[in-house]
Amino acid sequence: MLFQIIVSGLVIGSIYGLIALGYSLIYKSSGLMSFVQGDMLTFGAFLGYTFYGVMGIPFILSFAMVILLMFALGFAIEKGVIHRLVAKNVLPIYTVLATIAISYIIQNGSMVLFGSDIKYFPPVTSIKGIRVLSLNVQTEAALCIAASVVFMILFNFFMNRTPLGTAMRAATMDPMAARACGIDVGLTTGLSWAIASGIAGFAGMLIGPVYGVYTTLGSVIGTKGFSSAVVGGYGNMLGAIVGGVLLGLTETFLSAYVSSAHKDIIAYFILLLFLFVKPTGIFNERAIAD
Amino acid sequence: MKTTTFKKQYILTGLFLLVFPFAADKVFNWNYGVLLANFCILYIIAVSGLDILFGYSGQISMGHAAFFCIGAYGSVLLHQHTGLPVILTICTGAVLATLVGALLAYPASKLVFHFLSLATIAFGQVVYQLVAQSPGNITGNFTGKFTDTISLFGWKLNSYTKYYFFSIVCLGIFLFIKINLVNSRVGRAFIAIRENSHAANGMGINVRKYKVIAFATSAFYTAFAGGLYAHLVRFISPDTFTQKQSVMFLTMLLFGGSASVGGTITGVFTVQFLNEILRSAERYQLLIYGILLLTVILAFPGGLYGLVRQILKKKGGKSDAAG
Amino acid sequence: MLQVEHLTLKFGGLVANNDVSMTVEQGKITGLIGPNGAGKTTFFNSISGVYRPTSGTVTFLGKRIDGLQPYQINQLGMSRTYQVINLFRKMSVVENVMVGMHPHMKQGFFASAFKTRAERREERECYERAYELLDFVNLKDRAFEEAGSLSYGQQRHLEIVRGLASDPKLILLDEPAAGMNSKEKEELNALLYRIIDRGVSILIIEHDMKLMMGVADYLYVLNYGKLLAQGTAAEVQANPQVVKAYLGGDE
Repeated sequence: MLFQIIVSGLVIGSIYGLIALGYSLIYKSSGLMSFVQGDMLTFGAFLGYTFYGVMGIPFILSFAMVILLMFALGFAIEKGVIHRLVAKNVLPIYTVLATIAISYIIQNGSMVLFGSDIKYFPPVTSIKGIRVLSLNVQTEAALCIAASVVFMILFNFFMNRTPLGTAMRAATMDPMAARACGIDVGLTTGLSWAIASGIAGFAGMLIGPVYGVYTTLGSVIGTKGFSSAVVGGYGNMLGAIVGGVLLGLTETFLSAYVSSAHKDIIAYFILLLFLFVKPTGIFNERAIAD
Repeated sequence: MKTTTFKKQYILTGLFLLVFPFAADKVFNWNYGVLLANFCILYIIAVSGLDILFGYSGQISMGHAAFFCIGAYGSVLLHQHTGLPVILTICTGAVLATLVGALLAYPASKLVFHFLSLATIAFGQVVYQLVAQSPGNITGNFTGKFTDTISLFGWKLNSYTKYYFFSIVCLGIFLFIKINLVNSRVGRAFIAIRENSHAANGMGINVRKYKVIAFATSAFYTAFAGGLYAHLVRFISPDTFTQKQSVMFLTMLLFGGSASVGGTITGVFTVQFLNEILRSAERYQLLIYGILLLTVILAFPGGLYGLVRQILKKKGGKSDAAG
Repeated sequence: MLQVEHLTLKFGGLVANNDVSMTVEQGKITGLIGPNGAGKTTFFNSISGVYRPTSGTVTFLGKRIDGLQPYQINQLGMSRTYQVINLFRKMSVVENVMVGMHPHMKQGFFASAFKTRAERREERECYERAYELLDFVNLKDRAFEEAGSLSYGQQRHLEIVRGLASDPKLILLDEPAAGMNSKEKEELNALLYRIIDRGVSILIIEHDMKLMMGVADYLYVLNYGKLLAQGTAAEVQANPQVVKAYLGGDE
């Protein structure tokens, strides 16, 4: 029982973490906030279901296609909408609202395209589960946890050690200076939105088999992702995953032992608590306070 | 000359507002129209509150449905349990929301823009969840709560037309106060904070205090509108107070154009009108809504009212030059 | 009237102001000069409450003001302008000045909400005074335009009047001549004396040496966050260390 709770806490936590990773990436590279992430997850899950579940394309191939498509979609959103708004120098609320508008379009659009019932996402492998410490763990669950850890390490490395990552960080801190140094700021921001959306699609593919696929799958996860990012320290890659896992575990434990009715309220309460009391998060990322 | 045409406009508007419910109800047999007018009035009050916060003092709230909710539930529950006259409970609910708003604004006033929007979203969700799954089922949870209409000294506002006249008097008072406020020392402090909060601080304005005042005032407006809503519909349930409602308030404000009374009114009417048209296409409502919102943001971020004013100004300028 | 003693300000490991002491005397124009990056504006920010000094004291009119918020310091009678123009751009020129009067106005929220008779009187008086003050810098005919539409020199002037609107005892001017042409600089020169005539003392940062040597009664020189020299214009000009700091130390 305890083991099962920990596993399911880790699974949902790593999904939150992956979404939070996307937020942090976008924030790091453009100083903006996106409300599309959650619905990107939904859309990715639907695409994955279509390719793998309906068309019967092998999982790995469907997987690659989903990530590629989501990547392109993210890039297109940044170039088509966000970039234009930023170039016009509008109030920040307009970019926030634009992402909300896009999230409505994706959410309702996928309902129109795929229908409003819950879709059954066939299992990824024929292996029913793997044994950890003589206990059975669903393969997808193990995959979720492993993937988020790998992504976190990869991104930390990418942002801090590779030339492109450094360029992206420089572009946030001082776009003018970065431009002067020959960094293509337009490209780095576009890429960060693309990567964030790719991760969301990836998370959707992972969570599809666990929860099934439906239109509002991502919207709650999207907000929980915000909590995770703030808890870890907004803009911190390591913090995103740690925050996600902590939130996931807290939620599952509370709903198992206290009450499941108020499961959702906890995430929002934690979000408020951190914003007001410790806005820099666990990893002390200075982004939030004036 | 100019003042007389101005006065004429006011008189005509007043006359129209006076005659409208009778004409709609009795002549065109369109009682639904009177209900819609009631909705528009209370939305104008709610969005005016948001405008004080966003349009004038430059702070964002993406959880204003929470104040709408506190106003509605506060009044309904208080009326149910104490039997106090509805008009009193509406005011009490609004005062309660004002306190909550101030309490929220005190720590939130430190946050920069994006994170203020997160904090207000979280606040909106917390309030929604508390109402939807209340401890001890005091709010009736998802079943909702039925309630009574307003009665003024024993005279029940038992038709949409009667309610309309009551609401429009409230609207008049609220707009009067808003216009007074923004044209005063307090309003100047709000605008100064919006324009440049560092300079405002340097000029002797207690920025945090005025941010809290703006939040509290805004909460009062929106909560009062929530009370009006509850007793107009005579039924409330959590469905009305979701994140979508908060976004709708913001859309109304931005669609019309912020920091003006005309913009608020334009925004409320346009969005309400669209809602009515889209009612038949309910399945695609959110999609169309999103596309419209996106178009507006990309095409004319100054809002509809700002756009119209700009065009009129251009025309006016031309005719001036010609004459 | 203003005494700064051993003021030090550190940002992490960086020392922006190191053990700076100075006094500003009533009715005088005190100048603060130094090469770029010497920490002059940072020093202004630490005495006007934007930054909290790491150590040292600031005393204004006999009261300790270090650690207070900017708005509190303004209310005690110290006003300022900014190096980068910080006007309320979308407000009209006269409204900008009226914001400057904020701390002296008494009407509160409810008086404003219901436009009481006292509130209307105060508003009218405030407006009339603001309008008259604009005459001080010849901006009366632009009173109802948006502040953002003024020319650069006019915006600088407006910042000064906005600062004067609260009837301060001391005004801090941060590079008021920056971006002005020579005619505007002459006007500024005369303006500084008229400010003194109003009974307002001045502490001024300025790069224009000609202007500073002409108007300042007493000068302080900052270099690398430390006080390098002080004295009258003639004394400072004769100081070899100052010359070296300005010409660049090639020894």
